[in-house]
Amino acid sequence: MEKIESAGWGRSLHSISSEYEPGSVQELQEFVSANEISRGAIAHGLRRSYGDSSLNIGGVTINSEFLSGLTFHSENRMVTVGAGVSMRTLEKAALERQLFPPVVPGTGYVSIGGAIAADIHGKSHHTTGSFSSCVKRIQLLYSDGEVRDLYPEGPTANHFWATVGGLGLTGIILEADLQLIAMESSSVMVEETRVDDLEEMLSVLSSSDAGFQHTVAWIDLSGDFRGRGVVGKGNYITQSLDSTPSKIKKGTSLPFPKIGNLSLINKYTVRAFNEMWFRKPLTNGTTTLDSFMHPLDRIQNWNRIYGGQGFLQYQFVVPEGNEDFLELVLSTMKELGAASFLGVLKRFGKGSPGHLSFPKPGWTLALDIPTQLDNLEQALNSLDSQLCARDGRIYLIKDARLKAEFVPLMYPRLEEWRAIRNNMDPRGMWQSDQSRRLKLC
Amino acid sequence: MLNAFHSPQSVALIGATSEIGQSILKYLPHGNLETCFLVAREPGRAAQPIKEMLPSQIKLIEIKFQADDSDSHRKIVEELFAHGDLDIAIIATGVLGTDPDLDEAANALNVMKVNYVASANFMLLIAEKMKMQGHGQIEVISSFAQTRPRVDNFVYGSSKAGLDFMARGLNDKLDGTGVSIHILRPGFVRTRMTKSMPEAPFTVNRDVVGKLAVKLLQSGEPIGYAPSILKWVALVFTLLPKKIFRRISNRK
Repeated sequence: MEKIESAGWGRSLHSISSEYEPGSVQELQEFVSANEISRGAIAHGLRRSYGDSSLNIGGVTINSEFLSGLTFHSENRMVTVGAGVSMRTLEKAALERQLFPPVVPGTGYVSIGGAIAADIHGKSHHTTGSFSSCVKRIQLLYSDGEVRDLYPEGPTANHFWATVGGLGLTGIILEADLQLIAMESSSVMVEETRVDDLEEMLSVLSSSDAGFQHTVAWIDLSGDFRGRGVVGKGNYITQSLDSTPSKIKKGTSLPFPKIGNLSLINKYTVRAFNEMWFRKPLTNGTTTLDSFMHPLDRIQNWNRIYGGQGFLQYQFVVPEGNEDFLELVLSTMKELGAASFLGVLKRFGKGSPGHLSFPKPGWTLALDIPTQLDNLEQALNSLDSQLCARDGRIYLIKDARLKAEFVPLMYPRLEEWRAIRNNMDPRGMWQSDQSRRLKLC
Repeated sequence: MLNAFHSPQSVALIGATSEIGQSILKYLPHGNLETCFLVAREPGRAAQPIKEMLPSQIKLIEIKFQADDSDSHRKIVEELFAHGDLDIAIIATGVLGTDPDLDEAANALNVMKVNYVASANFMLLIAEKMKMQGHGQIEVISSFAQTRPRVDNFVYGSSKAGLDFMARGLNDKLDGTGVSIHILRPGFVRTRMTKSMPEAPFTVNRDVVGKLAVKLLQSGEPIGYAPSILKWVALVFTLLPKKIFRRISNRK
């Protein structure tokens, strides 16, 4: 095995591990059964988790790229997909059959294994729930080397829901059956509304959820931090308006150059960008699925913009009725001078039965912040404490700095999950830097 | 484990009564700190001032050690890693060798045992454990005195020079393992240990050393001086002809 240095998407945490690249499931089974690995192993896909969920310093990381199977079952709109397949690949293949995953994240560059292990969500959460809502079977490799099928209901349901959102710590996801939705077009009807402050943003988001399958807001985290921004709403087009067959249209995706340790993010550059973004012409009409669903993919390796020190994403959910917490976050960011060009606000619908699944009803805000900002660590610790008091939680797949003591408060089913996980992995094989940092296992 | 701010979760201070060591603890980021091991001949004496400088929820684990009981060091190091990963170890054991009850040879032996043998032993044992966990930083308190032998402190300087030499070699050996050694070379620092001595040029308070020591860890650089200007003074010292060096370095 080759020793490699890896980093999370935020590039703030780096880790040297032994990278194992199996050629087949059988080879992987033999590896898992035969080896006692003192620092354990964790599977990884495309490494879009921001922090250390896919890192395993001093241990083994298992590349899931070889799990590339993709079989459609047209009679019931199901697909059997390998854990290493990217969402983008699945979307493209599905659209050719006039199908689409009901839940997709802001980037198409996540693996299906990662999507399940993080129980990801998208702009459609208020109508579809999180990704697990479309997962009908998970094939999991256990630490005893056995492969088992898990279902959301029945005798394996506990293992299924511990794996959904389980951060890869219950086993290696090999493949999954997903229930897709029928699509008649590869376009989306979009409406954008410019809003002047946080109150208006919350109001527009709340009133839009009933009429739109997708809602999300970009919030301007710069200047006076009053919460102005642009609310985007979208619906799939039910009748084909395209003259060509459905497919993902190839958009422009520009590479971001390597700039070493240099960071291009400061309050002036962010202010200028955000001003421009706020004033940009609004989209009202049809747009491609790809540009609506994956706005982050227009620039490859955009994470380099933060330079060598990297950045973190602070994403939380706070129950409705606690809108003052959103204001508190904005005022804290203003005090810190933490200008951010990526701030995303959304209202979640119902949560999933996953023990460690992140979404629950309320407001979720995600913001990218450079790590080298003075006093940021203390400020975020203080926000976490207030978030706990409001029954909110941090999204673990985005996390790179949460204190371990907050995890059981944010995820009250942690103990239940631990008991199931220990039963699934009595050897303690599955470990990550995050599981050690947050004392998850 | 370190977090995105490179704040440690667990730290060990070997030689926990050292005022320089305590100052480093004071200036390390505390936002992620959960456990702090205090290894000292009298750990209780070290714990009191440390309790006052650290947030109350940080768990302090006191471990007693004898510098000249090398066999016990391995067991102590086992204890440091028994609770999970250790992110940072600060090796701050040290004596000046000015005990009036001992003659020159006995003082020198004590200096060699504490400053070199015990410190180097801990450094090697901790590095081995950190290598197994795949990460960790060891900060070793060397001294500006290791630059060149001086009549008034060549025994102390030789012990630090030995430690410094080993730390540099070990750091090279650890390249690519995720473990790194950081050598801090302070000049004259106002502490209990140096209270009775005449101050040298570029004398600093321990807070200055603590801040620079933390900066060194965060920068990832292998060697740092406190104050930083001593880097250039050291260069001049090594280049000076012996006669001139002797004349200007004799502070008696």
